[in-house]
Amino acid sequence: MTGSTLLAQRWERPDLLPPRPRIAIETLAGSWKKTNDKPQWIESLIVETTGETEGDEIFVTIFGSSPPSPRLWGRARAETIYSGGIATGDARAGAFATHYRFDDFEVEVQANLNLGLLVVATFVRFREAGRMNDRFTREFFYRDAEGDAS
Amino acid sequence: MTVVAPASAALSVDVILGDWRNTNAEGSLARIVCTANDAGTIDVRVFGRFDNGDQDWGSVPAAIYAFTFDDPAAGAFSARFERGAARIDLQANVKAGVLVVVELVAFHDDSGRSNFFDREFFRRVSQ
Repeated sequence: MTGSTLLAQRWERPDLLPPRPRIAIETLAGSWKKTNDKPQWIESLIVETTGETEGDEIFVTIFGSSPPSPRLWGRARAETIYSGGIATGDARAGAFATHYRFDDFEVEVQANLNLGLLVVATFVRFREAGRMNDRFTREFFYRDAEGDAS
Repeated sequence: MTVVAPASAALSVDVILGDWRNTNAEGSLARIVCTANDAGTIDVRVFGRFDNGDQDWGSVPAAIYAFTFDDPAAGAFSARFERGAARIDLQANVKAGVLVVVELVAFHDDSGRSNFFDREFFRRVSQ
């Protein structure tokens, strides 16, 4: 692959004809616990997936770790689901994104699989300026074998 | 081309500002240029690696974030670009002097392209 055609080859891809490949979302499903022994922003997550016949959706339930993270964030539907590459439905390096809205702030959540870990990034934005600044977090979670939610 | 409203201001942005070059000569994005704007946040300009050289995607305002709630400095940003049928969300943070950029690419057409996740690394060549 030469440098002059890299982006064209990677993103324009007229050779990829519809339909889009199905993204294997079940790869992301499970009960995920924080790898860090200390308190952090998110304590754990449950990622549930629906079947192909039900539209292939992801629902995530987040449990907060330490304030101001809410103890229970609730259950949210993933708004966008990503595979690990433009020409594949393989989700072993895939991701999903969703939003949560609370009284004082909203959170953009992006979670991706990396070598068996779920890497969760959040972007916390307060509705009004106050004593706390908007914040970015990235935290790591391992799959709890006893809490599989697939 | 763009669309994300800036987040609240009041964070210093020095850690993020600069001309960042992809550490991978075969990466999809060649450069990311972050400049301060009048709103107290930053504008992000991206150059995609494309046929016959880098392609300027233009500049968009970005939301900025600190690493802790009481940190006065921003160390991360998010920005959205629209390129034809592609929506590209960039989520970036500075770690050990490297700009780590997550690219979330979603297509809103009837092509056979899959939405995909990617991550690239950038080093700062000037501030």
